[in-house]
Amino acid sequence: MKRRSALAAGCVTVGSIATGALTRPSSGGGPVATARRADDSSDTDRRSEPILEETVHETTLYEIDAPESGPTAMVFGGIHGDEQNGIEVAQEMTDWQPDAGTLVVIPETDRIAVENGEREGIDGDLNRHFPPGGEPQSELARGVWNALETYDPDVVLDLHRSLGIYGVHHQYVGQIVFHSPDARGSALADALNDEVIPWYMPLHRFRSSTSDINGPLLFQAANRELGATSYLLESTSFVLDEDAMNRHTRFGAAKVLELHGLLETEGDE
Amino acid sequence: MTIPRPPIRRVLASPVTLATYAFLVVPFALGWLRSSWMSPLALPGYLIFVIGTVIGNAIAPRYEFWVYWAPFLAGSFGLATVVGYGYEAWQDERSNEG
Ligand SMILES: [Zn+2]
Repeated sequence: MKRRSALAAGCVTVGSIATGALTRPSSGGGPVATARRADDSSDTDRRSEPILEETVHETTLYEIDAPESGPTAMVFGGIHGDEQNGIEVAQEMTDWQPDAGTLVVIPETDRIAVENGEREGIDGDLNRHFPPGGEPQSELARGVWNALETYDPDVVLDLHRSLGIYGVHHQYVGQIVFHSPDARGSALADALNDEVIPWYMPLHRFRSSTSDINGPLLFQAANRELGATSYLLESTSFVLDEDAMNRHTRFGAAKVLELHGLLETEGDE
Repeated sequence: MTIPRPPIRRVLASPVTLATYAFLVVPFALGWLRSSWMSPLALPGYLIFVIGTVIGNAIAPRYEFWVYWAPFLAGSFGLATVVGYGYEAWQDERSNEG
């Protein structure tokens, strides 16, 4: 009997891996491949500079100028220091090559929180520091806001992570695209579901939600005060390993750049 | 005619019970270990796991390993037992008729 059940488990294991490999969405091409392509012989201009210089919050901002003019997109990772997916993907993005416009990336926005591996840094939850009708509420928030005003981006993308499933685990936000009313949130969620969420993980599908912009979150303030089209992309770590979660976040980030004209993916539109 | 009732020990040891349990647990556990090992075969386990986490979270609303796995393993075993029971009862009925 024991041997029989071990055999059954073995068959299930092998069959499982095989069917998984055969039915997984392919990830060749697409906006990520376009963003990562290696022909950096062009006139892409890269530079980095510290923001909040000579304060405890000092962190690095990267600016990548594509050869063609176009919109400016600004991407934030590490607004919450324990959300590794956003930090890692934003760091990768500093090597990306937009086709047009300017890509500005701050991978470790709340650097102290990132170094401590905690959600909040010494000033509390940075993503609640941008209230309507008021000044940014901490030194860190003011420095981040200065950078935003300097670049006055057309598009803002803030990368986050949740621990649960949207609509199932009510104590968590879950995987979702929050966006300003003018943004293409549903196109982004559709693309994520088509390209990175396998059909056999139906509860992991992304939704999109138009946000009330009168809140204290960075992406809300960026839309409200600067008129930027803004997104908060929340990926989930539920059941997923770091690779998978980063893949979701990375694809979402590249898709935003594509939707707003910084990347031109071949065979698209 | 009375419905035959297989003894619970036979149900628990039934190959159908064990195979069903393996089918519910193994593919999902693989996908949980490594996301790229997730597969269509894991879908039943995936759904049971998610339902289990809702129950686990209601009992202990913190992210803890056992909160997610205990309801899943217990639920999968419960379901496997039901399937095994059905199979053994059907076997008994067949042999009675024969
Ligand atoms: Zn967050």
